[in-house]
Amino acid sequence: MPMVMPKTARVPRMILAILIGGLLAVESSAGDAAVTFETDVQPLFTRFGCNAGACHGKSRGQNGFALSLLGFDSEFDYEAVVQQARGRRVIPAAPEMSLLLKKAIGEIPHGGGARFAVGSSHYQLLLEWIRNGAPRTPADAPKLVRVTVEPSSQSLAPKEAFPLKVIAEYSDGRRRDVTDGAAFQTNDKAIAAVNADGHVQAGPVPGEAAVMVRYMNHLAVCAVTIPLPGTVAPEVYAALPRQNEIDELVWKKLRLLGVLPSTAADDAKVHRRAFLRVIGRLPTPEETRAYLADTTSDKRRQLVDRLLERPEYADFWANKWADLLRPNPFRVGMKAVWSLDAFLRDSFRQNKPYDQFVREIVTAQGSTWRNGATVVYRDRPETVEIGSSMSQLYLGIRLECAKCHHHPFEVWSQDDFFGFAAFFSKVGRKGQGLSPPISGGEEMIFTSLGGGRKQLKHGRTGELVEPKVLTGPTPEIGPDDDPREVLANWMTAPDNPFFARVMANRIWAEMMGQGLVDPVDDLRTTNPASNEALLDFLARDFRDHGYNIKHLIRQIATAHVFGLSSIPGERNLADVKNFSRYYRQRLRAEVLLDAVNDVLGTEEDFAAMPPSSRATQLWTHRSSSLFLDTFGRPDPNQDPPCERTADFTTPQVLHLMNSPTLNRKLTQDDARPAALALGESTSEQIVEDAFLRIYGRPPTADELKIAAATLPARDQRRTAVEDLFWALLNTPEFYFID
Amino acid sequence: MTVHRNCEGLARRDCLKLGLGSLLGGGFVEALRLSARANPIATTKPTACILVWLDGGPSHFETFDPKPNAPAEIRGEFEPINTKIPGAYFSENMEKLAAISDKLTIIRSVKHDQNNHGAGNHYMMTGAPTRIPVSCGAFVSFHPSMGSIVSAERGAPDGLPPYFSLPEMTRSGGPNFLGAKHAPFVVGDDPNNKSFRVRDVTLPQDLADGRALNRRELRGQLDGMLRFRDRAAGDPILGVDENYQQALSLMTSEKALEAFAIERETESVREAYGRNSFGQRALMARRLVEAGVPFVTLNNGGWDHHSDIFPAFRKQGRAFDAVVATLIDDLDQRGMLDTTLVLVMGEFGRTPAISTLPGSKTPGRDHWSSAISVLMAGCGTPRGQIVGATDRSGYSAIDKIYAPENLVSSVYRKLGIDPDKILYTPSGRPTHIVSDSRPIPEVMG
Repeated sequence: MPMVMPKTARVPRMILAILIGGLLAVESSAGDAAVTFETDVQPLFTRFGCNAGACHGKSRGQNGFALSLLGFDSEFDYEAVVQQARGRRVIPAAPEMSLLLKKAIGEIPHGGGARFAVGSSHYQLLLEWIRNGAPRTPADAPKLVRVTVEPSSQSLAPKEAFPLKVIAEYSDGRRRDVTDGAAFQTNDKAIAAVNADGHVQAGPVPGEAAVMVRYMNHLAVCAVTIPLPGTVAPEVYAALPRQNEIDELVWKKLRLLGVLPSTAADDAKVHRRAFLRVIGRLPTPEETRAYLADTTSDKRRQLVDRLLERPEYADFWANKWADLLRPNPFRVGMKAVWSLDAFLRDSFRQNKPYDQFVREIVTAQGSTWRNGATVVYRDRPETVEIGSSMSQLYLGIRLECAKCHHHPFEVWSQDDFFGFAAFFSKVGRKGQGLSPPISGGEEMIFTSLGGGRKQLKHGRTGELVEPKVLTGPTPEIGPDDDPREVLANWMTAPDNPFFARVMANRIWAEMMGQGLVDPVDDLRTTNPASNEALLDFLARDFRDHGYNIKHLIRQIATAHVFGLSSIPGERNLADVKNFSRYYRQRLRAEVLLDAVNDVLGTEEDFAAMPPSSRATQLWTHRSSSLFLDTFGRPDPNQDPPCERTADFTTPQVLHLMNSPTLNRKLTQDDARPAALALGESTSEQIVEDAFLRIYGRPPTADELKIAAATLPARDQRRTAVEDLFWALLNTPEFYFID
Repeated sequence: MTVHRNCEGLARRDCLKLGLGSLLGGGFVEALRLSARANPIATTKPTACILVWLDGGPSHFETFDPKPNAPAEIRGEFEPINTKIPGAYFSENMEKLAAISDKLTIIRSVKHDQNNHGAGNHYMMTGAPTRIPVSCGAFVSFHPSMGSIVSAERGAPDGLPPYFSLPEMTRSGGPNFLGAKHAPFVVGDDPNNKSFRVRDVTLPQDLADGRALNRRELRGQLDGMLRFRDRAAGDPILGVDENYQQALSLMTSEKALEAFAIERETESVREAYGRNSFGQRALMARRLVEAGVPFVTLNNGGWDHHSDIFPAFRKQGRAFDAVVATLIDDLDQRGMLDTTLVLVMGEFGRTPAISTLPGSKTPGRDHWSSAISVLMAGCGTPRGQIVGATDRSGYSAIDKIYAPENLVSSVYRKLGIDPDKILYTPSGRPTHIVSDSRPIPEVMG
């Protein structure tokens, strides 16, 4: 035990107040400033990187001195500092001799080098603490409840600087300036750098950066904006079109940055874009012609409404969701994959409210052959796996780091990880489990209540874990309650801070080509949204409309920003994340393959699918298709399957140009080019048809002239028509959403 | 004294080897040496790098840094074996590499602070830590990868893409701001297959050359989509154009078609590399380097041994050992090792303590970035040396500690690229190729 010495008066109170730096402005009285472990000392371990993952914070410490990662375990840290090493780390009788100090100032060899100087405020603070007997913060002392940073957002000119102030709020309402003990990090130091004292320095170019502040286990962010030079009159923003709240919030952000949006895209472009984004297919020439001829003022809304009722809608969105949930049939069995696929398609066909959809997965019971939602449990037989997959998918929280240790850049601890996973500890299984590579058996998933239940053990402490939600109090779980029902209630409750946001962000990303938060399922303070107010609105609006996915899609597709041109102007040239223009994106593999077939009037022949099936209807990524492999789809041989990339690559170019399969399709007798060539159409009509099908717009006069000139007389024009289709299919205007 | 070539130029020892020292006297040799220094990029033969990327983070204990005297819970199941480097041991499954260890440098003391796959991969692959914290599953790019930098700075002859990745791209192996034309050309097909060919680089059989030309001409006339030339706008169509140009040159490249024709290797060579996907990809890498490609990545997954580590090393470890030893030996016999760097590494090492994670049934080791072993051979790397050391339990590098920046800078130096060069991002932001451009002196020869 450390010697507890009476508090000495060797350091006058006045000096102490100065040491703790600027506290007086916020502190209620200087009398609260007694230096104690949890409140004053532990934060310094984070501030100086002592408890970082690469130093004493790693699970076995460094050179025999271990601290909890980023200070999440005060008991552990106090013992390590004060009791271990035979009390040499902290020596109240001769404070200057304490190893803690001598190492920190580099007086004796220290792998981490000198962290601060003798006489610095931090040195004096530690010295004072040791001198006073290294007291802990009393158990009944006010708890740290929140950390805020001032300012929380700042706009400044290039090369300007400003200081950050970090305020800790305690349960007794006390507020304390803890800037001196906080750690700072910027996400883009070329835009805005920050030093260890919290001084932010803007770089030479306009842009945005987020400066993260960590104090103990609390995080806060200051959004730094360096607007474009020059001013735009407020009237210009006021005059921008507003179809709904989305536009208002985007304009608000642009105004902050001094950015102006692009002009509106033309009708044909918006029409093609809406088709590809809402139902994943190209419009026919007839549909395009009708839309262009339509003169009603709300024709876009009518279009979106029509698209949302099309049967392709369900296939397209189910295909996207399948990326997230679909297992490898060799692992879980074909019938199980099939039934999961059916569950997804049915959910989107019914436009099942999203909260209900998630509830059905979280609480799934029954046969993996009949209730597809149960298959996620077959695929993830370990309780701890299912927990982290659920939190990532539906809450945007990546808990898997916290399985082994405190999450290094979030607030999640191992207790959170195991507490969340424990909701799934009563999942029971009967029947034939996984037996890859042939894993065809049926399994029953159920909830085993009452006695004989297994319970999850904590990975570090080995103690049995009770279910615990990630924020707020955990509801009472009676012996007859299914913990998964309790979890589903918490997840889908209107005040859940994550649930609606992560889905709103997903849908936004699917509609606009890029998430407000990226990656879309990694929502955390240290990865802020490019437009927080907009994400808040989308989440709230989604929730207030009964988690209606079609409503959310309609809101986005009818907003003015959805119809912006992709072509930048002078004041938004460098904007790549604030949606001041539409961002071009390559069609995803399935949509592109379907588009090729729609254009050519051909069909794909997939194994294990009925004739005339479309790629978006495939129930497994195991269906062999060189085309889909080339353009990217999740690899079912990997676990978890790799993400898709939207990148365009040289092999893709080559495939479109030279693939023997595609060339056969282009030139076969019953394909569209041959039919058009042999039909009665004039050269001009053929060109117009090709442009409408492939680009979703009529050709310009020039294009018409160039293309028509390549078509010879009717009886000799077949190869020329094929070549015209080849040429257009090999241009980016076809394979991009523009 | 070991004689080796310094890829940056004709080194002094080469002169000595040629006997110039005795013929012409020290003064002249000194002058030659100085002139070589003054023009460090003047290489006689082009240099190249084959990066064998062990995705997941291979254990240093079970490869090149065994700790036979550590307690059982750290030591693991394997015995150390002798190498040709006096006093140095490898783990028992690295048998073939031990047998050619007189051609290798093992650096046992690379160290960084990124303990998850996303960030660790990025740091080792680019020499730059991630700008914001990222998670384990992340595929991130904040800086161009080594392969992309080499592609941009070196290029390749005769329509060949300068940067290949087999059979897929590594997580952070992308070009970042350098753009699509410096992305790796990915050959996904398995060269161990009888029917292997690199797909779609030739015209469809029934298509006449003239017709193909007409098609491309018409495409050029009708491709009217507006491009935003200013790179800051991030227009993906500029990348498409680069891909299209690369595709065209590849289709007409005799060298490329020759390099892809792995079936032209003799049966004995193919057998030596091993009739498995990884072995034949290593052989393909050699063929690509012969054709003039300066950077080839072999992405070899499955090294994240949180569980089942010992059985894995008996199988996968041995398979890896055989292929990489054959590759280095083959390069050496062909006289290519002096100009070809073989670099073997993953995102980090593994924890000293063997653990069984919650949910696992068999023991393994976890992520550990404080002690990373890296294998280098060729391109002027001294033959038969161990650089640096970890402590007696393998917790941490303690001697000659190097960061990924130093490692990556060494690779650039060897390939004739100045790691201190400043590149400009599309928005005009200056970026050093590597922030700390000091190479590892021990590997520079």
